[in-house]
Amino acid sequence: MVQLSLDATFSALADPTRRAILARLALGETSVTDLAKPFAMSMPAVSKHLKVLERAGLITRGREAQWRPCRIEPQALKVIDDWLGDYRRFFDESFDRLDAYLKTLQAKEAAAPNKDTPHKDSDDARKN
Amino acid sequence: MPEKTSLDLDSDPRSIIGIREFDAPRELVFSCWADAKHHTQWWGPNGFTTTTSSFDFRQGGIWRFVMHGPDGRDYQNRITFDEIVPPQRIVYRHGGGADVEPVRFTQIVLFEDIGGDLGGRTRLTWRADFPTAAERDRVIKEYGADKGVVECMARFAEFVASQASR
Repeated sequence: MVQLSLDATFSALADPTRRAILARLALGETSVTDLAKPFAMSMPAVSKHLKVLERAGLITRGREAQWRPCRIEPQALKVIDDWLGDYRRFFDESFDRLDAYLKTLQAKEAAAPNKDTPHKDSDDARKN
Repeated sequence: MPEKTSLDLDSDPRSIIGIREFDAPRELVFSCWADAKHHTQWWGPNGFTTTTSSFDFRQGGIWRFVMHGPDGRDYQNRITFDEIVPPQRIVYRHGGGADVEPVRFTQIVLFEDIGGDLGGRTRLTWRADFPTAAERDRVIKEYGADKGVVECMARFAEFVASQASR
């Protein structure tokens, strides 16, 4: 059983060729020969990429002697996706709220420019 | 320029980088981080509210707060500010209550003035740097590979609470 590791998965996904291989495999399981066709690289080079993807748990390879089909393993991607989904949610929703809050502040500032604006607070914070 | 940008995983395999632009001057955007009164107005995903018990915005200072989740649960949080360069840069680590294991990753916030002559636009970069592969593995095992998405969401504030550092 391949140990799912975010580090290995990110590293594996950082390469455009490997992402292209995954995109191809998303269409269905494929032999190494067929996988190599669209790429201008040797079979050993493709095999090397496949090993990285396999170690990251992103693909598995059949044990059927001759053509050892490669297939995508959705679980590794799902782990990343779940985690990133939470992270993205915090990022998107917090900063949506910040955007709205900034508009409120600016409206207030426009209405009463000499009031206690955040500019002043930031100056105070700096002196601390 | 799109209002929202997806998280960038490619530029640096050890980091997760998010970028947002705001129609507001840099000083103002920065001030929304620099004062708890402002910070709590927008911090956290939809449905979360924040109550601050102490806020010490300076290098080495700590911000203690409780996030109240939409499910009624409270999540203790503690943020330690490692670096503050007004109005350009904030570096912090995010720990939970005393019982939550610390050390996740360092969060870096950069504020860039992209307003040109008008000075009314700011690019904010929110970047998580993982110190080691092992640390990153721990994050994913404890907070990602966990149960269903729903539970994940419920535990999200806890994850946020434990984002950071040693």
